[in-house]
Amino acid sequence: MENDELDSEEFEDFEDEEFTRDLVVPGEILTEDIENFLPGRGTILNEKKDKIISLNIGLKKITKNYINVIPLRGFYTPRPGDKVIALIVDKNPVKYRCDINAKDFAILKPKNTYKRSKIKTRGRIEKDIGDTSTEKYSIGDILITKIISADRLNMPELTTVGKYLGKRSNGIVISIDTPKIPRVIGRSGSMIKLLKNLTKCHIFVTQNGRIWLKGEDLAHEKLLIDAIKKIEKEAHTVGLTDRMSEYIENEKKKRGIN
Amino acid sequence: MTLLIKDEYPEKLFREDGKRLDGRDLKELRPIKLEVGILNNADGSAYLEWGNNKIFAAVYGPREVHPHHLAKPDKGILRVFYRMATFSVFERKRPAPGRREKEISMIITDCLEPVLFLELYPGTSFEVFIDVIEADGGTRCASTTVAALALADAGIPMKSLVTSVAVGKIDGKIVVDLSGIEDKAGEADLPCAITWFNEEISLLQFDGDMDLNELDTFLKLAKDALKEIYEMQLNALKSKYITIQEKYNGGQVKQ
Repeated sequence: MENDELDSEEFEDFEDEEFTRDLVVPGEILTEDIENFLPGRGTILNEKKDKIISLNIGLKKITKNYINVIPLRGFYTPRPGDKVIALIVDKNPVKYRCDINAKDFAILKPKNTYKRSKIKTRGRIEKDIGDTSTEKYSIGDILITKIISADRLNMPELTTVGKYLGKRSNGIVISIDTPKIPRVIGRSGSMIKLLKNLTKCHIFVTQNGRIWLKGEDLAHEKLLIDAIKKIEKEAHTVGLTDRMSEYIENEKKKRGIN
Repeated sequence: MTLLIKDEYPEKLFREDGKRLDGRDLKELRPIKLEVGILNNADGSAYLEWGNNKIFAAVYGPREVHPHHLAKPDKGILRVFYRMATFSVFERKRPAPGRREKEISMIITDCLEPVLFLELYPGTSFEVFIDVIEADGGTRCASTTVAALALADAGIPMKSLVTSVAVGKIDGKIVVDLSGIEDKAGEADLPCAITWFNEEISLLQFDGDMDLNELDTFLKLAKDALKEIYEMQLNALKSKYITIQEKYNGGQVKQ
């Protein structure tokens, strides 16, 4: 549906086709030439500081003089500004607790669930109109939210005020490996456009590895889910977008849907 | 009804042709089969067949610590649960975790901790569940090896893998990778593990009697064996992805 507005900067990881498809594992030496290269993301210098080694299982990528490792497996770490699909697991009169597929639950305060509208009463007092109780949502609701604040120690805080944010009462939510989310979006959204056009479904991809989708009927939704699972499985191969369009066309003929 | 069979060990642990009872040379390892990513519901998983040993490892984390008082405010914790199945050994093993299992869980924790960045995940825990389905000597080494693989498969940042093997002495000869019967009837047994980022010993235990001067020989032999197993670990981790890459022949669909 409304995925085009997602910042493409967030998904730079798989953007360049130039990087090598070298598979590296933790502890593998990436280079011994430390004068020309610097350790980037997913790498460190060893103790003697004469080698750069990988920390993750992933693909080696060189940008300028930085050596990075793009992980193929991993968990989601919340960052401010991320859009995430949250499931409300608990609520009390002052806050909701949401599962966002991270190590901590996230907090959603009622003041962040209502759009604040200011009313000037005869130019005197500015009054905030916003409910302060947790009656808007109930336990088990699926929300598309944005993270306001997150760090290592405290629970992340969410908001549902904003464009495309809020409760979703229909559709399907599926979950895939977090590091493979950039591949589902593709280079400047190419993959997601392809999926939308071919399966006629609305999709919303979020950074915590959850995807909301809704199609015309169940057959289209099933096809889309199968396609996403295929992308997840083959995320580290080249020429995926072309292969996916072929796959969906073939599957459509096989399943007899338009 | 209990079946009474005495523990009987053969008098000689070498055959007449100079090989070991299972037909191996002195420095030969048992056949090893490693696989990663086999359990769907775990964050990371691995399976190992090492001779007759069959071991599963599953990794979860980072996640909340239960019971909560174990959580540390400045760093994460690593918890290892080594368990043997009731049917894993000849005589039925009582399912409750015993003294031996708790000890092995602890040594594996200490062995794996140096390669992880626990200080980056305060207040959380990484949990490794090791289930020994079938045991035939050297399960602590095998468990360490497979637990490191499962951690890597879960995508947890690690400085390097950890590999472990046992060396020992049977009938006066130094051998690598002791099997169950050699472990019990032999003279000495020395399990050791290595962390590859600094090539330091991460686990060293000893049982039996031997000359202290022989220790260097033991460790030298162990390192050769460890290198061999390390290669297998790397291959196991990579093969999961390489098979998919090769299927598409570097991006070109095979006609």
